[in-house]
Formats: sequence, structure tokens, C-alpha cells
Amino acid sequence: MTQEDAMKLFKCLSDMSRLRIVQSLNQGDMYTELLAERLDLTPSTVSFHMKKLEEAGLILSRKEQYYTVYSLNRKALDKTLYEIAVSEPEQADEQQKREEAYRRKVISAFFEYGRLRSIPVQRKKKLICYEQIAALFEIGKVYEEKEVNEIIFPIHEDYCTIRRDMISEGIFRRDGSQYVRIK
Amino acid sequence: MEKFMQYMDSKIEEGRAKTEELRADGRGDDANFMKVRTNIYEVCKTVSQTLMKRPGAGTGAVKAMLEKFRAEWGAALEKAKQHDNAKGMAVEEIKLSALEDVIAHFEEVSEA
Repeated sequence: MTQEDAMKLFKCLSDMSRLRIVQSLNQGDMYTELLAERLDLTPSTVSFHMKKLEEAGLILSRKEQYYTVYSLNRKALDKTLYEIAVSEPEQADEQQKREEAYRRKVISAFFEYGRLRSIPVQRKKKLICYEQIAALFEIGKVYEEKEVNEIIFPIHEDYCTIRRDMISEGIFRRDGSQYVRIK
Repeated sequence: MEKFMQYMDSKIEEGRAKTEELRADGRGDDANFMKVRTNIYEVCKTVSQTLMKRPGAGTGAVKAMLEKFRAEWGAALEKAKQHDNAKGMAVEEIKLSALEDVIAHFEEVSEA
């Protein structure tokens, strides 16, 4: 377990509703609707908490006919507080991690279900969004302008601006009506 | 309409108190969801008040606006389901549940 995982785990458990869910699951495996009834929460709220618990590695889920049944991840819960508290920091470069976290934040703020809400004004944010769009293109492959438009349009209606910006930012190289992703 | 506004005020007050209660109980995420629910009553109250004051508009305009919310948030819920977005689903369901309550009370008052 890394320090980051430990933080996630502690944050996840510092919520009374989630502690109550863990307590209920300690009595036996349960499905969302049953937990909702026991804890007087709506099923969608319980699902939200279950997702957080699952991401923190504290519970496991399995499909049983129409239901998703949840159980405690005993292996994770059997760890001592000492083992969790002295977990190792991640090896990856701190700066790189901060940049990745910033990138994720920008993407989640500007993209909704794969569509770009608006073109960011700030260049740094705009570049992050364009890099995300660029991932839909293969590096080195030649695309006709029509193809480029067809790929960008479902993401944002102003595909012309985005296409032009991606050239000026050095993401695409343009040769007549042909485009090549270069980075 | 006065009765409707009184109902909205009571729900806003109740929602604010519950939000604080949940936060004090260490249920931060549930408190945030309650805040979302309370916001819906606030939004609906403001929109209804504004529309009722507008010349030529009346209960019909309020009903139309509430129906518009219902359609938009229903679509947002479907989208959240399609993308398995647990937080989105919870938020949209809360918004729709509060809205259904507002619509039911508005209809009751406007038919009386």
C-alpha cells in the first residue's frame, strides 16, 4: 500500500455513513437496496458510497442474478493501523504526480461524458484539453481534413477553431488538406 | 400561491437544518446531497416568484418551467446511468425527487 492509497482509505472511512455501511457488511454480504433500507438512505446514495468504498479497496462486489452483492474485503481490513500508517511514499516523481493531478482536474472540469463543455481561455488548460482530443488521432497517420472534422465535431461543435489551434500548438502538421499528428 | 411559497420556505429551512445535522454527524457527503436537495427548492421558489410577477405569465408559465427542469434533469440522469457515474446518478435522482415534490405541491395549490 502506498501513502496515496492510505490517504484514500482514511478519507473514505472518515464518513459516518460509510462506517455504518462497513458495520452492516460485517454482519453479512448485502445488496444496495437492503443497505439503503437499513440505513435509511436512497439506493443511489448508497451506490455512491459503495463506489467510494470499492475505490479505497475496502469492499468487494459480485453479481448474483439481478443484484450486485457487496462484501467486506477482509484482506484490506485485516491490515493493522501501523502497517497503513507507515506505508511507503510512491516512487514516481512528486512534480510529475502534481502535474498529472492538475491534468485530471482540468479534464474533469472541461469534459463531460467525453464532450468538451467549452474551450478554455487559459493556454495551459487549453493545451491539456487539446492533448486529450489529440489522443483520438494516431501519431504519424495522415488524416484528410474531413476526417479530422468528423473526429472533433462530436467533442465540440467549434471543430474549426480546435483544428486550427491544434496546428498552431504544434499538435498537428498540416500539408494542404492533410493533417498529421506529430505529438 | 402564498401557501406554495410558505411550503417552499419550510422545505428550505428544513433542508438547511438537516444539512447541518448531517455535517455534525460526520456525514459530509450526505450533507452535500441534502444541500443539493435544498438548492432545488430555492431555485424553484425563485423561478416561480419571478415568473408569477411577469405580466402575462402565470401558473402556466411556472408549470412549463418545472416541466422543462424535469426533462433536462431526467436526461442528465440517463446520461449518468449510461456512463456509470455513481455521483451523477445520486445527484440527478435527488434533484428529480425534490422537483417531483415541488410539482405535486404546485399542482395542488394551483388547482385549489
